[in-house]
Amino acid sequence: MREIRLDLLLLSLALLFAPAFSDLLLSKVDRRIDLTSHVVRITSTLKVENAGTDPVSEVLLAFPDTQAKNIAYLTASTIEGKGKTKSSSVSLPIQVVHPDGMPPSLTWHSVSLLKGLSKGESLTLDVLAVFTHTLRPFPEKITQAEIQRVAFQESAYYLSPYVVKVQSLTVKHSGQFESYTKLENSRASGSEIKYGPYENLPSFSFSPIVIHLVNNQPFAVAQELVREIEISHWGNVQVTEHYNLIHGGAHITGEFSRLDYQARPHVRGASAFRNLVAKLPPRAHSIYYRDEIGNISTSNLWGDSTKKLLEIEPRYPMFGGWRTSFTIGYGLPLQDFLFQSRGIRFLNITFGCPINEVVIENLIVKVVLPEGSRDISVSVPFAVKQWEETKISHLDMVGRPVVVLEKTNVVPEHNQHFQVNYKFNNLSLLREPLMLISGFFLLFVACVIYVHSDLTISKSSTAYLAKLQWDEVQATVQQVLNIINRCLTIHGKLEASLRDLSRTGDVQACKSARKSADSSLKELSKELRPVLILLQSSSQAVQILPKVEELVAKERELQEKLMLKHSTVVDCYEKKSGGREVENRVASIQQKITALRQEVDDLLEIIDEI
Amino acid sequence: MDINVLAFLVPAGITACFLPLSDASSFVILYIVTSVYFSGVMVRLMLVLAPAACILSGIALSEAFDVFTGSIKFQLPGISRNSQIDVRDTSSAGVVTQDDGVKTDKNEESLKERPSKKNKKKERENAEKALIKPPLEKRLLVLPLEASVISLLLLVLLGAFYVVHCVWAAAEAYSAPSIVLTSHTNNGLHVFDDFREAYAWLSHNTEVDDKVASWWDYGYQTTAMANRTVIVDNNTWNNTHIATVGTAMSSPEKAAWEIFHSLDVKYVLVVFGGLVGYPSDDINKFLWMVRIGGGVFPHIKEPDYLRDGQYRIDSQATPTMLNCLMYKLCYYRFVETDGQGFDRVRKTEIGKKHFKLTHFEEVFTTHHWMVRLYKLKPPKNRIRGKTKKSKTKASSTTGSKGSGKRNPWQ
Repeated sequence: MREIRLDLLLLSLALLFAPAFSDLLLSKVDRRIDLTSHVVRITSTLKVENAGTDPVSEVLLAFPDTQAKNIAYLTASTIEGKGKTKSSSVSLPIQVVHPDGMPPSLTWHSVSLLKGLSKGESLTLDVLAVFTHTLRPFPEKITQAEIQRVAFQESAYYLSPYVVKVQSLTVKHSGQFESYTKLENSRASGSEIKYGPYENLPSFSFSPIVIHLVNNQPFAVAQELVREIEISHWGNVQVTEHYNLIHGGAHITGEFSRLDYQARPHVRGASAFRNLVAKLPPRAHSIYYRDEIGNISTSNLWGDSTKKLLEIEPRYPMFGGWRTSFTIGYGLPLQDFLFQSRGIRFLNITFGCPINEVVIENLIVKVVLPEGSRDISVSVPFAVKQWEETKISHLDMVGRPVVVLEKTNVVPEHNQHFQVNYKFNNLSLLREPLMLISGFFLLFVACVIYVHSDLTISKSSTAYLAKLQWDEVQATVQQVLNIINRCLTIHGKLEASLRDLSRTGDVQACKSARKSADSSLKELSKELRPVLILLQSSSQAVQILPKVEELVAKERELQEKLMLKHSTVVDCYEKKSGGREVENRVASIQQKITALRQEVDDLLEIIDEI
Repeated sequence: MDINVLAFLVPAGITACFLPLSDASSFVILYIVTSVYFSGVMVRLMLVLAPAACILSGIALSEAFDVFTGSIKFQLPGISRNSQIDVRDTSSAGVVTQDDGVKTDKNEESLKERPSKKNKKKERENAEKALIKPPLEKRLLVLPLEASVISLLLLVLLGAFYVVHCVWAAAEAYSAPSIVLTSHTNNGLHVFDDFREAYAWLSHNTEVDDKVASWWDYGYQTTAMANRTVIVDNNTWNNTHIATVGTAMSSPEKAAWEIFHSLDVKYVLVVFGGLVGYPSDDINKFLWMVRIGGGVFPHIKEPDYLRDGQYRIDSQATPTMLNCLMYKLCYYRFVETDGQGFDRVRKTEIGKKHFKLTHFEEVFTTHHWMVRLYKLKPPKNRIRGKTKKSKTKASSTTGSKGSGKRNPWQ
């Protein structure tokens, strides 16, 4: 505390000896400092008057160096129209300038006016300055039971290179404060501390004040946030955000008692925060909330047609100095964010973090464009550091171009839309499906070729020839089996004719059936002969030949027995002997027939298996 | 409960195995008897009992199905002359399918399964031999047709309900991950994610080199999720090291602090289920810590922690129990939750309710109090008036080295 006071004292001494500057005059300055959140917002309304002769086109704003490095966001705007007919406010460009002849350790920003301010004219300027890390926790370490107090330093007088006629300062806080620097004309009422009005102060007047107040707002500071926005022309924009969060307030020392926190959370652990609320676009889908270990189930989602609210609770309540890290991801429909005009596509999406009131120390936004995008350009409403990378992802050949934007000290005011323009050929859209289709197509063609191609190395090797011969043998054996099966069907017909005979007694039909069977069997045996000769000649058939020959022999035996039976039955019927005689005569033959049948079946099976 | 209907099918299967008693069926009987004994000793060995129980139940159900289907077939109209042959066929087929039933679990498969070609040939041979040999007489149990049909349907229903039970057991009992616990309340599913909460806190809010001491069950989880060094983990290859941690948990605060300080431990992790009723917490495992610690360090004696041979933590507990580190770390300020300190797992009020920790301080407790983390307090800068005493103590202890039952950390 003391060192800073010394610093400001030196500054004020330096400023005392600074000269007055230019012809502008600030006739009225109203400053409102908002200390309710951990982000400090100072709104200054300046009424600028040109007291000199030349028209002036810029207004200078001064900040002490210690304060200036914490400026996250600075805008100035004028309100067109006077009095009650206030129309739109136009924001004016601001640049950092280094004018000469100025007191040291001051940072200067220059607001360029739209049209020059001529002699005698006056203009109302609204300046909004957002500061981060200016509320210092004081004491720096607290126990769980204590409330968090912060110290804020500012100047009661508006620091300006111009003469200020009337000025006043209002500090708004959350309601409780410990102390404030009492100057003349300062009073505290309710949740405001007022300084002023002060009149006719010279330029560069500076009066340091310190306000020690209670602030229990969640001091959520993201040390690093990586936002990855991936565009897929198939209809989805996938946003993935990786957070490294820390509680930026007073560090907790000593014990943490869950009992105290759960029983009376507002007394024990007033400055801790339990949940964060993120505002997502209304058609966000597939929202997930996880960290390194796994999914975090303590989250809620609700929304309407204008937005979706995602309330997330980290795994444990955040006390001062505690860290956590998590990842939030969601998908957005492409048509809400990607537009096309005059051959150029552009993505219009928010830059900052969707969670309320989070200060981001280092924000990295990566926009991953589809492969084949060219002529990439980015337009962001504030200064960022940018460069390009490549990311290799699904079905990529060269990689996707990635535009990386980095900014430090980001506050919720930075959550504006930015655009990324690029050109993309419509035909390149077909590259991925064509790649897949051709890949599978080539695979199948290769399989077809492989199956049908003859890959033998030598056509005259013994193994190859043996294989060919074996194929021939198999074909011949199939033929033999075919013939045998046909013989067996004829046997079946004969048996059927016998049964018909027993039913109808028609001997003539039986005899004719017998004759036809005889003739077909003879034909079949004729067919069989050359096939058998072929088999006998082939060398590969040595193993299978005896079985085939046995089969043929058995089949012939069966044939004979069947014929015998048939003739005996027909004889019996002609002689009109009784059924029992038939049975007796046929019995032995029948036995043999069944036995032979069985053997034939066995052999057929064995040959089948080979 | 786990074996459900098998509990009464197994004895039926055992009796079926005795008729006839072959090599295969006697093996199954011996298997079931020995596995029943061992499952009774340690319930995790039910894993060994399961196949034997399934086999025997399959045998029993198969026999039952045989009887019922035989009765139905016997009483179907149209089969009079061949019924005896068919009966023999079905009995031989029954023998064949019984052998199949031994191999397969569900007997319905064995019935619906078409007998293979070889069986068909055997049947044909049997049938042929039957024509030659005189037919064998076999007594047949024939039940009324309606009764058999209804019994068949009931047996099928029994099988179906058993399948439902098995699916439920696999879904609820065998698929529960022990890291995230759930319970069904009126408002739906309540999730207890305390373990991951504690590991995430350790991973983010401690230094990289800090060591965490806990019982060995949580070693791998701490190493993987919290990314911190542990003293003992599930590998359990160093019994003396585990005994050291066990001794520390069983000693009073100061002695435990000395042990942990010598191991360069910064944080101590204990699991406590008394607030929500989680039964596998460290207080239930505490007796094992005492036993293992006492096995290596003889100054820890198990009877010191038991009152009349009973393990208790209520007002009747021994002073050693009420002063040991595990008790203190688990129940620190527990009485302030409900005013009486009622432990939902042990179902009693705790013995020592109001006490303060002198050498440890609580750094984190999870939402349902299931994991509690404590930090070792740094040693005091000044020890008033103790330096002279420690010198004399050192000389006296060096003199009496031969006693043997000494605490190595004092």
